[in-house]
Amino acid sequence: MDGQGTKHRILMVSDFFFPNFGGVESHIYYLSQCLLKLGHKVVVMTHAYGNRSGVRYVTNGLKVYYVPWRPFLMQNTLPTLSLTFPIVRTIIIREKISVVHGHQAFSTLCHEALMHARTMGYKVVFTDHSLYGFADAGSIHMNKVLQFTLADIDQAICVSHTSKENTVLRSGISPEKVFMVPNAVDTAMFTPSPKRLNCDEIVIVVVSRLVYRKGADLLVEVIPEVCRLFPKVHFIVGGDGPKRVRLEEMREKFSLQDRVEMLGAVPHAQVRSVLISGHIFLNSSLTEAFCIAILEAASCGLLTVSTRVGGVPEVLPDDMIVLAEPAPGDMVRAVKKAIDMLPGIDPQIMHLRMKELYSWDDVAKRTEIVYDRAMESPTTNLLDRLPRYLTCGSWAGKLFCLVMIINYLLWRLLEFLQPAVGIEEVPDIGPLHAHLGSRNDEAQEK
Amino acid sequence: MKSSDGNQIKLQPMWRKVAYGGRQSGYDDNYTDESFLEEMVMNANVVKRDLLKVMIDSVSISQYLCIVALVVSTWTLTLNLDIDESTLLKLDVGLLLVGFWVLLLTTCPFSLKLLTKYVLNISFFISGLYVLAPIYHTLTRSISSDSIWALAVSLLLVHLFLHDYSGSTIRPPGALNNPKLTSNISLNASIVASVLVASRLPSRLHVFAIMLFSLQVFLFAPLITFCVKKYHFRLHLLFSFTLMAVALSVTYQLHRMFFTVLLALLVFVSIVCPYWLIRIQEYKFEINGPWDEAKLCFDITE
Repeated sequence: MDGQGTKHRILMVSDFFFPNFGGVESHIYYLSQCLLKLGHKVVVMTHAYGNRSGVRYVTNGLKVYYVPWRPFLMQNTLPTLSLTFPIVRTIIIREKISVVHGHQAFSTLCHEALMHARTMGYKVVFTDHSLYGFADAGSIHMNKVLQFTLADIDQAICVSHTSKENTVLRSGISPEKVFMVPNAVDTAMFTPSPKRLNCDEIVIVVVSRLVYRKGADLLVEVIPEVCRLFPKVHFIVGGDGPKRVRLEEMREKFSLQDRVEMLGAVPHAQVRSVLISGHIFLNSSLTEAFCIAILEAASCGLLTVSTRVGGVPEVLPDDMIVLAEPAPGDMVRAVKKAIDMLPGIDPQIMHLRMKELYSWDDVAKRTEIVYDRAMESPTTNLLDRLPRYLTCGSWAGKLFCLVMIINYLLWRLLEFLQPAVGIEEVPDIGPLHAHLGSRNDEAQEK
Repeated sequence: MKSSDGNQIKLQPMWRKVAYGGRQSGYDDNYTDESFLEEMVMNANVVKRDLLKVMIDSVSISQYLCIVALVVSTWTLTLNLDIDESTLLKLDVGLLLVGFWVLLLTTCPFSLKLLTKYVLNISFFISGLYVLAPIYHTLTRSISSDSIWALAVSLLLVHLFLHDYSGSTIRPPGALNNPKLTSNISLNASIVASVLVASRLPSRLHVFAIMLFSLQVFLFAPLITFCVKKYHFRLHLLFSFTLMAVALSVTYQLHRMFFTVLLALLVFVSIVCPYWLIRIQEYKFEINGPWDEAKLCFDITE
């Protein structure tokens, strides 16, 4: 199957992409790059970022459509239900797309693009990057939207088994449709320090946004206690956010100005230089579907101490991470255990192990299998799809059916106003390495 | 073929719920075994409730409804000039003494310093109120009476809806936890309603007396009832039922419609709502699992 399957033409859709930065953004970018290397055609669709609007080509000829759509809340576009249909349809036809891959449950552009692609009969795949609860109003609403999108999905991907359980519960999708394909880390970017740090002074690194969900309040309790128990310990805290003031106050209250260093916001290009200056990486998140930061730290050779939340226990083997309950006392005990384990840790060996455990090439191969599985699923028309929406709820089901019927009529209208045969298709440049190969062939001919 | 398949199955390594190490050999990425949703917990926080206990717990709400009904009755009688200012002042003094007495009985730490502090605070409070009485007297002269009544009733409803029935807004000295925002809004609504009603009385002394009465009840009645309940629950029940009897008899003499509404409310709160709560509990559906956001076990002090 691997390598012998047909080449796919994939459209990645999300509100989150470079120049914005985060886990979803880097996931889409690295996955796209590795799929290009496997010979597939990949196009990314996102909304405009400031002046960046229109079509851009990034590394290896990855084409990005920055649709002229303004974000209105946390980089999310305004939910318009159908206004994105014309441009989504045009891009899909121009690029001769075969699979539409949406990312992140919180992305409105993703949900709308998947809905339109299904209406047009294309295969759709969805990747969920976050965990959501069940009790608060925001989560209830978000789960209903997810149920609508996944009612008619071909395949779904989650980044951890805990995330898969969460998504299955929230949306009611069949577990067999959900693949567990984790995030990965670019081990070439995160290498250990050439010179091994001595253990005369133990440096604990924290790199995360300083917000409630990342457990900044937990840090405020843990750092003074660790500094009190272990005189050799120093902290480096990278990141900014509303809770930064609390950490500054903690430093002054316990007179830790010389032992706790606050760096502020750290550009991603400098994260490695921060990580390799430490021995231990501390993650205090209260909820994580996966936590790429732990992978980055392990790739730099750091031993990790983390809260046992969400998908974190699945991320690393037990000898590379020390897990603790999200309570100050347990966190301090975990830090103590990590300090005891430190003499047996070799950063270079840890880095080599990370190379084997995670790679984006492996993620791309597994995602390719998901695309193959999606292509095998039967093609359905509107009448076959409506019963799937009816099962979403006694009232929501009928509302969803109505939305899809209107969407279908809109599609027919667009077909009438602007027939598909009239839309100019983009010529294939082909992968750059193939292009170079053909150039060599021409040279040989000469 | 069958036996060889069996052998192959036996030779496969066990599937592990981990994300590292790539795709596990012999298993697809969408493999789902029996441990799926194993850690899901349903209705972990659901408490089995007994009808009698819920009814007993609802007595606090009925009690406070009666207190408010008595206050409204007093307002009405005063506005109708059935109660003169000297009687009202005697009632104020009586309530103050009874309240102090109950507080002393139910609160263990007693000291002369604390008592002196209380007396001083009360004196300052009463003096300030007396000085402000002329302002209250003329506050709403230019507003029509039906607007006043509508506003007062609305504010009392806000007070009842947002009231903190499980504690009291005025905390005993040294108590933890600050009062909630809704509790503060509730208290302010009742005080504003009192001012509106007081502004319709004919003389300054009347205004002072009714304001003192209202503030005594709205500010300190929840504290007193809270202390009584904590001190002796049976006494709390006795006091509540006595209060209900007094409230019903007073309202019966005052206004039949008011009496009917109060009786219906008491029946609704004491009997219908507890039964309704227990009946509706079977629809409770709560999911917990490892995907939930962790709760911090300590208070965040900003």
